[in-house]
Amino acid sequence: MNFDLSKGLEWAYKDMLTFFPENVSTFGAQLDSMFALIYWFSVGTFFLTYGLLVIFMIKYRYNENRKAYYFHGNNLIEFTWTLLPTIFFVGLGLWSDGAWTKTKYASRVPKPDVEIDVMGYQSGFGWEFRYAGPDGVFGNKDREQITISNPFGIDSNDIHGKDDFVIISPGGARPIPIHLPVNKNILVNLSSNDVLHSFFLPNFRVKQDALPGQWIKVWFNGSKIGTYELACAELCGTGHYNMRGQVFIDSQADYDKWLDEQYKITKPVLEAPVSSDTTIVASVDTKDSKTTKN
Amino acid sequence: MQTAVANANDIHSHDTHHGADHAHHELSFIRKYIFSTDHKVIAKQFMVVSLFFLFVGGLFALMIRWQLAYPGSAIPLIGNILPTNWVSDGAVTANFYTQLLTLHGTVMIFYVIIPLAVGMFGNFCIPLMIGTDDMALPRLNMFSFWLVPPAGLILLSGFFYDSGTAAAGWTGYPPLGPTSGPGQTTWLVSLFMIGFSSIMGGTNYMATVLNKRAKGMQLFQMPLTVWGLFITAILIVLGTPVLAAAISMQLCDQYLHTGFFMPDNLLVTAPDNTYVTNAFIAQGNQLLEHKQLLGGGGQPILWQHLFWFYSHPAVYIMILPGMGIVSDVLSTFARKPLFGYKAMIFAIMAIAFLGFLVWGHHMFQSGMNPLLGTTFMLSTIVIAVPSAIKIFNWLGTIWKGNIRFTAANMNALAFIATFIIGGLSGVFMASAPVDIYIHDTYFIVAHIHYVLFGGALFAIFSGIYYWFPKMYGKMLSENLGRKHFYWSFIFFNLTFYPMHILGVGGHMRRIYNPYIYEFLQPLQPMNQFVTFAAIVLGFSQLILIVNIFWSLKYGKAAPRNPWQANTLEWSAPAHPGHGNFDTDIVVYRGPYEFSVPGRDSDFYPQTEPPSENEVPIHSGH
Ligand code: HEM
Ligand SMILES: [Cu+2]
Ligand SMILES: [Cu+2]
Repeated sequence: MNFDLSKGLEWAYKDMLTFFPENVSTFGAQLDSMFALIYWFSVGTFFLTYGLLVIFMIKYRYNENRKAYYFHGNNLIEFTWTLLPTIFFVGLGLWSDGAWTKTKYASRVPKPDVEIDVMGYQSGFGWEFRYAGPDGVFGNKDREQITISNPFGIDSNDIHGKDDFVIISPGGARPIPIHLPVNKNILVNLSSNDVLHSFFLPNFRVKQDALPGQWIKVWFNGSKIGTYELACAELCGTGHYNMRGQVFIDSQADYDKWLDEQYKITKPVLEAPVSSDTTIVASVDTKDSKTTKN
Repeated sequence: MQTAVANANDIHSHDTHHGADHAHHELSFIRKYIFSTDHKVIAKQFMVVSLFFLFVGGLFALMIRWQLAYPGSAIPLIGNILPTNWVSDGAVTANFYTQLLTLHGTVMIFYVIIPLAVGMFGNFCIPLMIGTDDMALPRLNMFSFWLVPPAGLILLSGFFYDSGTAAAGWTGYPPLGPTSGPGQTTWLVSLFMIGFSSIMGGTNYMATVLNKRAKGMQLFQMPLTVWGLFITAILIVLGTPVLAAAISMQLCDQYLHTGFFMPDNLLVTAPDNTYVTNAFIAQGNQLLEHKQLLGGGGQPILWQHLFWFYSHPAVYIMILPGMGIVSDVLSTFARKPLFGYKAMIFAIMAIAFLGFLVWGHHMFQSGMNPLLGTTFMLSTIVIAVPSAIKIFNWLGTIWKGNIRFTAANMNALAFIATFIIGGLSGVFMASAPVDIYIHDTYFIVAHIHYVLFGGALFAIFSGIYYWFPKMYGKMLSENLGRKHFYWSFIFFNLTFYPMHILGVGGHMRRIYNPYIYEFLQPLQPMNQFVTFAAIVLGFSQLILIVNIFWSLKYGKAAPRNPWQANTLEWSAPAHPGHGNFDTDIVVYRGPYEFSVPGRDSDFYPQTEPPSENEVPIHSGH
């Protein structure tokens, strides 16, 4: 069993804040600085309280010849140390709320440049992504039309749905990456057809549970070209750990090119006729096959 | 009972006879030690069963840790003797791993911390500390214990299903919960039973505290341990029925095809279609449609609301008794009145009240309306205030004290130290936007363990060292007690502090193999470090067990009041029999009159009548 003690002790000699994965989203820096502020507040409180604890323990250790001070407390002191934390904490709450509404309120989602639908899936464990295709418009969803090859239930009667394409990415070491453009507002409509999952983009400081039966808006804006990992953060079954995805943040030109190619190799879902009352066989359970639906 | 009182007068004969209660020859062995209604025997029963489960849960944890340190490699010693549907080549399978993490959480919370904090101390301390002979409802008390062993057996029996036991986490979120196999059923049934045990206990504690206090004892003369347990009992009685309802609903979703938590048109992988409501079922690669089944139309998030409406107060069910114990132990060993007695009680009440308004902080990222996130963030942040008040008051208690470092007191001081860290990590998560990133990572795992292991369990250890003499009539070895403390405290911190850092690194909780992710691969050495620390921490607990057995056999006989404390239990015989007290108990003052000026001794028991020319002292202010 190999073990590198100096690496194993990193927690002891490196500043906690240096462990964050690189932040590449526009609001991530704000969230990180809030973390840092609470962190420094905590460090201060830690030294204050531990300092007192240790000093008292040493200074007032048992001595036969001394008698403890007979004192029951004092209301003014109680009042002060109630009021000060209250002010601090309520301030912290109100201040936090700005970042919260900005990142999570549906009404505050900026006008999207690119919109995709995302679902986690449990049967084989991976992610499903829907792009709107060349027309840039999603077809309606019809829950009655959900099948395993049309997980989003794209409505076959809606003309906008004809060119929607879906990428079904397995988890594990070789997921099918999705691409998104840099410096653009990305809107993800998140849901699930089976159990809860959680859409976690560590580098973007994005986390949102996927809730079956409900579509939730998640947005971010990636500010750096690169390849990033997508994880599932909500226990969804045995293969939960394996729900790794990949996100490429591209320049607009690269993104357009990818979109074009991907549309060609990933046939729109509705081109394959789907009947709703027969058993459909689709291979989604292939952990290491690169392509599933093409 | 009267004969017991008469007989117990002779303290010495009592001590030398292992405290055998001569007065109760008429009680058979079974009625006395097994189906006993004596609160002290029931407390010991809770202690034995829960300490057993502590080791079971600890074993689960170490198997989990091994997998995180060296995924896929055989567990040392036991890996190759475990059944092959749990391990492959000696390493846990993903399926078994998920079962282990579910059962670890469930066992530790419902079978270790709650029964120890509430079942054991509630039973042992309440009647003795309020100066009465037994609980208000002794038979109910007996039932409340006797639900625990069958509930525990049902829980563990789940492992023997082919599909394994529950694997949806200790939180059992639907749709995963109700769509998994029969193991989930054993989990639900067992929680239902243990919940009932809690409710019976809680009712009993409330009745006892309100009706059976000794003559002269006002509510504001009760020690903090009793206050903590009393408020806990209220939390239990208000909260646990909600859990019971939620469990029943999940059972209905599983078997009656109701749809409380199940939305329409699910595509679920299920062992067979028995467990699935209006859903598409995927079996292997095949999708089968089952639209004809009833149900659906529900909301998975409803479970989370119900579950956390109980389980947030439940974290206070686990910690409030400990806070009470620590207050008493600190005051006794600092030889100093508790700082801010009433403030401490009001803080407990505030925590209990606010505790019912904050459950949504577990659901910030759940898809609940973010407007609710805002309100839950504010209420959660406010609940940090009474926690802070308590810390300050404990520090105030040892300030200018005369501190004795007994094993009990060291554990109590450790409680403060770890609770500070647990409270501070709580502040990070209470800020909803900061929680986005750290939710469901090891940061949360670190928080949980700082408050539950570092907090609740150290307080429980403290209580065990403190009351063991009264429970068993023998002193625990202080030497072994200190060893147990040092090893536990050091390796506790080495195990759980780095988890904060893992969480900041983005390490998700509940994952079988983190190193699938490139960004987590650099964290492996720290995971290994944590695992080694955890193994030492686990084995350190054997010192406690050795101490208990050694002291029962060879320990010094306990005097009546070994710690020179004030509370009523120390006025009872060294090893009280059924009926508890050998004198009439009258309470003259509050529990924290230490180092009263002008007195020779530095303590002043609640039962000692005031001297002639003394101005009566009021309760602890
Ligand atoms: C200062 C007081 C506290 C605050 C502000 C606080 C806050 C929080 C928050 C916001 C969470 C949810 C984090 C997340 O899942 O993202 C949480 C989780 C948790 N807290 Fe606390 N907490 C405090 C004290 C305690 C105490 C005293 C206990 C137990 C004795 C406790 C036990 C837990 C547990 C068990 C969880 C995790 C449940 C789970 O997801 O498995 N907390 N806490
Ligand atoms: Cu998952
Ligand atoms: Cu909570």
